[in-house]
Amino acid sequence: MMSSRFYRLRASRGYGLVLALGICIAALSYAQSSNGQDSAAAKPASRPVPESPATVEQILAGKTLFAAQCGFCHGRDAGGGESGPDLMASALVEQDVHGDKIGVVVRNGRPDKGMPAFGNVDPQQLAALVAFIHDQKAKAKEGRRRTVDVSDLQTGNAEAGMRYFNGAGGCAKCHSPSGDLAGIAGKLPGLDLLRRMLYRENERGTEVTKATPTATVTLPSGQTVTGKLAYRDEFTIGLIDPSGWYRSWPVTQVKFTVMNPLEAHIEQLGKYSDEEMHNVLAYLQTLR
Amino acid sequence: MKLAREMFALGAVLVLSCVFGVVTFAQGLDPAALLKPTPDSWPIYHGDYSGRRHSHLSQITPANVRELTLAWAFQTGQAAQIKSSPVVANGILYVSTPDNVWAVDARTGAQVWHYTYPANEGFHIGHRGVALYKDSVYLTTPDDHLVCLNARDGTVRWNVVLADVKEGYWTSVAPLIVRDHVLVGLSGDFDNIPGMLKSLDAETGQTQWTFYATAQPGTPGSPSGGATGGNMWITGTYDAELNLVFVGTGNPTPVLAAQTRPGDNPWTCSIVALNPDTGDFVWGFQATPHDTHDWDAVEVPVLVDGNFKGSPKRMLLQASRNGYFFVLDRTNGKSLLTSTFATVNWSKGVDKDGRPIHNPEKDPARDGRLVAPDEGGATNYRSPSFDAKTGLLVVSSRDAYGIYFSKPEHGTVGWAGADYGVFGKAVLRAIDYQTGKIRWNHDLGGGWASAGVLTTDSGLSFTGDSVRSVMALRTSDGATLWHSAIGHVGNAPITYELDGRQYVIVASGGDLFAWALPEKPSGQIRSSSRR
Repeated sequence: MMSSRFYRLRASRGYGLVLALGICIAALSYAQSSNGQDSAAAKPASRPVPESPATVEQILAGKTLFAAQCGFCHGRDAGGGESGPDLMASALVEQDVHGDKIGVVVRNGRPDKGMPAFGNVDPQQLAALVAFIHDQKAKAKEGRRRTVDVSDLQTGNAEAGMRYFNGAGGCAKCHSPSGDLAGIAGKLPGLDLLRRMLYRENERGTEVTKATPTATVTLPSGQTVTGKLAYRDEFTIGLIDPSGWYRSWPVTQVKFTVMNPLEAHIEQLGKYSDEEMHNVLAYLQTLR
Repeated sequence: MKLAREMFALGAVLVLSCVFGVVTFAQGLDPAALLKPTPDSWPIYHGDYSGRRHSHLSQITPANVRELTLAWAFQTGQAAQIKSSPVVANGILYVSTPDNVWAVDARTGAQVWHYTYPANEGFHIGHRGVALYKDSVYLTTPDDHLVCLNARDGTVRWNVVLADVKEGYWTSVAPLIVRDHVLVGLSGDFDNIPGMLKSLDAETGQTQWTFYATAQPGTPGSPSGGATGGNMWITGTYDAELNLVFVGTGNPTPVLAAQTRPGDNPWTCSIVALNPDTGDFVWGFQATPHDTHDWDAVEVPVLVDGNFKGSPKRMLLQASRNGYFFVLDRTNGKSLLTSTFATVNWSKGVDKDGRPIHNPEKDPARDGRLVAPDEGGATNYRSPSFDAKTGLLVVSSRDAYGIYFSKPEHGTVGWAGADYGVFGKAVLRAIDYQTGKIRWNHDLGGGWASAGVLTTDSGLSFTGDSVRSVMALRTSDGATLWHSAIGHVGNAPITYELDGRQYVIVASGGDLFAWALPEKPSGQIRSSSRR
């Protein structure tokens, strides 16, 4: 199978929204039994006294509203789903005071990341949502939430990881500990580093350059155009040309190649043993 | 002008009603018709009881499919995606989203009525469709009610409670009608609650029986080994001769942590055969013994009759979320064949009974395990389709990896762990059920496709890719014959024929699209009749 040719780009500027929406749709579609959580946190019996001035009624109202409207993407407990981040780990939630930050995001959405705007939320509903999110966050500190800590990811052997990196893994073909990976462990902690190492682009890892596929299209005239892949399906190829314009062609009328620098990562997923994966992670964690 | 035309039409209908009164008032769906659906209908979620999502219609063919044109579109005007499979009877199409049902003219897409269920606290994740029985429409709601509507006008006949939404249940399923039984499965795996399938009286809404996939609360000595869960959130199938309903059950809870539920945890991640009159359990087959990855086995149990390795068999096929394809003898649940149809790295092979062997090395762990498929699975709710001529089960599948974590601090309630998708790629696959081998692969454009599959007797497969297109493929080899970029298709296609015209219906976003061959010019002067 030709995974590179049909690689679904995720970071294109021109189609970011369409793709974000697509991802959102995809996540919603299969989230039927997908974004769950440790709902012990939701049981009244284990509910701690809220630290915030929010009332229990507000929190319960917020829980209901959150489950019905936000749970698709953020998980019913706000602990994150496939398409929406864990709000317990959100810096914005951390900084929020009585909804001053959360409210803006709820009302305006984050179209660039696929979050719709909930413009018609009334102040009472918003206060309830905020109360619930903060209550969840307070409980998350008790350690009952589903979290992956940096300390959980210290089981690998860094030396073996380095050997694998330079040998069987083939990582050194594209990466260098003193080049692109210099200081990577400081930029991407724990789970973020593991996910990036495996494949996935990291939304929060803005300091680290994302790899994007490049398309080269040969027109009937023989002219070639090379640029960042911007659109790809079975019928159409689109790219951002060197002057910054989006251009597309029917695939039947041009020849083209797509270079996806992450292709090796996709292949590697089928090769890693769990031990090798943890070893390479341990090695990367030494690159501070 | 428009009003005058409508008045005229109404008058014509009234005259016809008097002349053909019996015909007019007999409108409704006799449940016996589900045994042999008429070509002008799609009266039940899968099209018929077999779950094959295959139509005998053949007006649209590989030769003319390129001429398909938009016959009509229907816009709900709402943000909610249509994920449901519409049902059609008596020229009316019924389509749903959470809390909503629309009845529209199946010829034109014109709205007949719209029912809105009151705002509620249930999980509004999606809705799979409604069911029809006589002149009633049945809608499941996010807060676990079953609402019976008058199919004529969408008014409420009755509304009964199926389960307590506060316990963590919700409903999204399209009910399965068997005679006067309305079979409804619950959803919910965020809490440690038992999976339920309930049968309600179609006339009164009274509960006839409840089947529990795991121990009913308060029942000691559970065979499920301490597991809860096993919800049945996809519509089952039915064999009238055996009088058995077949339904897939969901994952056990706690989901990723299994220390409190040793053993295989029957009947989670299973296919079960039940007597529809009593709810009695007849047999079960576990697709994933002791699941720790959320791989519900709710995918459509497809009923196929034919020869298998030389002898006639009544079979059941399932392409399961865990990446395995199963062929069972549906008279007894015994395995005939087990193979994989997507990337799988989590088992230690297959046991003598055709079940994958659990590999504890791939259980979620504190430092993470790289597992294929991921939580979304090798397939999911997306309906497959079986084409008898080619012997192929066409499945929207994925090759995918996820990382799974669990540690004691995550507790033993609900999810009890964490998992993250790493990479996934959508591929449409045609599985030869005689061998389990993949006859062809059709790349769907990476990522995630949400469409189900419909096959027709003329040798066409309709589905959607993972990007923006609805498409028609040749069933024998998977070649693309037609497509239209209407947006990401979110449901399973259906088809029916009215007035000699075959329609294929798909949904994208909140809109329905009806495709058909171009209308022939009528040759009549339209205004003459209105002079």
